[in-house]
Amino acid sequence: MSSPRSTSASGGRGLDRRRFLTTAALGGATIVGASALGGLDADAAFAAPTPSLDPAVPAAAFAEGRITAINGSVLEVAASNGGRHLIQLTNATSIWKLEPTTAEAVKVGDGLYARGVPMPDGTMAADALWVNIVNLAVTVRGIAKDRLHFAHGAHGLVGRVVPGTTAASYLAGALTSDLSQVRIGQSVQVLGAWRPEDGSVDIARMTVGH
Amino acid sequence: MLTLLSASAVPVLGALLAVGGAAKLFGRDTARQAAGTALVRIVGAGRAGLALRAVGAAELLVGAGLTASPASAAPGMAAAALGAGFLGYLGWARVAAPESSCGCSARERGPVTWRSFARAALVLAGGAGAAARGGTWWDEVAAHPAAAAATAAATALALAALSTDLDHLWLLPLRRARLRLLGHPLAPTGTGRTAGRVPVAASVELLERSLAWQSMSSVVRSALLEHWDEGGWRILRFAGLHQDAEGTRPVSVLFALDAAASADTAPLPSVRVTVLDDCTDEQLPVTPPDVPVRTALTVLPLAT
Repeated sequence: MSSPRSTSASGGRGLDRRRFLTTAALGGATIVGASALGGLDADAAFAAPTPSLDPAVPAAAFAEGRITAINGSVLEVAASNGGRHLIQLTNATSIWKLEPTTAEAVKVGDGLYARGVPMPDGTMAADALWVNIVNLAVTVRGIAKDRLHFAHGAHGLVGRVVPGTTAASYLAGALTSDLSQVRIGQSVQVLGAWRPEDGSVDIARMTVGH
Repeated sequence: MLTLLSASAVPVLGALLAVGGAAKLFGRDTARQAAGTALVRIVGAGRAGLALRAVGAAELLVGAGLTASPASAAPGMAAAALGAGFLGYLGWARVAAPESSCGCSARERGPVTWRSFARAALVLAGGAGAAARGGTWWDEVAAHPAAAAATAAATALALAALSTDLDHLWLLPLRRARLRLLGHPLAPTGTGRTAGRVPVAASVELLERSLAWQSMSSVVRSALLEHWDEGGWRILRFAGLHQDAEGTRPVSVLFALDAAASADTAPLPSVRVTVLDDCTDEQLPVTPPDVPVRTALTVLPLAT
């Protein structure tokens, strides 16, 4: 897996670009206040696509399935309903695989959810791609230093704690990196990235007591 | 010693097989339980329930034979054969249908694990021991009652420990006690590069509750593309499309907010917004949100 985008500016050009973008970002208009609108974070992968009322905005398309082949920047995807999707990645496509990452992290065999715009050639130009994302209601059965053991229905599941990434929200509070309030026996909603090689899940966030 | 061990374990093993077998044979839930097992792959979905009841009948017979039969080696040999059969079935199920349940007990619906293999191995070993031992188990127990009771209790505990049905009685309380004694393994250490940092997901959550996000909702098309921290600020970059009289062009939408803020500490976040043309790096104007501010309503006295 390639490094996440938070650290991708390792080269000189990347750092120069970051400096330029930082200067631009800090010179932008300041807007204060809260809104009730939803977002495009990883939870959005599981939300039903909402058609826009604006005719200028093309209808959003949605795709899911397992990647069967990668041809350049096009992903061939076998949908769970037996269909097939061709998903075109662009420079503007956001890719999530536990955290924001790059196209190099996407592998054959990965599962995905994607949103984008249907193109005349039958492909879908992806705006956002969530790779191996899972959202599971589980019960905590054990806690170790680098992992949690969950029961998901009758099945056991290992959730891996990823330092700097895994976060938790308690009683509708803000997400925090403090995981020490997770208790054995609690019901937890886990959002994370499934690892096809061993069936475990890298935990992005745990929602406790909502 | 081995004779005593075998003699003490035989009634425990026999009772376990008899009770488990009766639950499978007469249980109302057996057909549904069978639907989730690897037996479906062997005999088909229609006959899996019948097959599981047949296995239950065999367990009941062998269990009753082990417990009640006097000196005959036949029940022991049958139990050993049953254990060997279980081991073979579990090995096949682990390879051919790893997500299937083993169907080992009425409550156990999880997949085949090492505990399933250990239980089957105990049945095989107990059966072999019973077949090899001469005389009845109760003669041996009567000769050494205290040692036999201790051995039987140890056998029962070992079998209970190998069953997931009873985890809630001993395993989870044991794990809770360990956390209380040794501390929470995930307690913050206060060291390391990421200690105490607000997670990026919390910044995104804060951003998505902001007016700045609402004002850009018609421009932003992607999820988070990249992020970095600089001088106490956290910069979040998204891809978007900007429409104006000249047409539509791809843009980067940059949000800058306090890297230490979260929805708990900053319910009304202050966010800086910048839109950059991806081709020319030209900064495009940001339209402030046209959101009506709802002021507090006047509280009227209730009529009495």
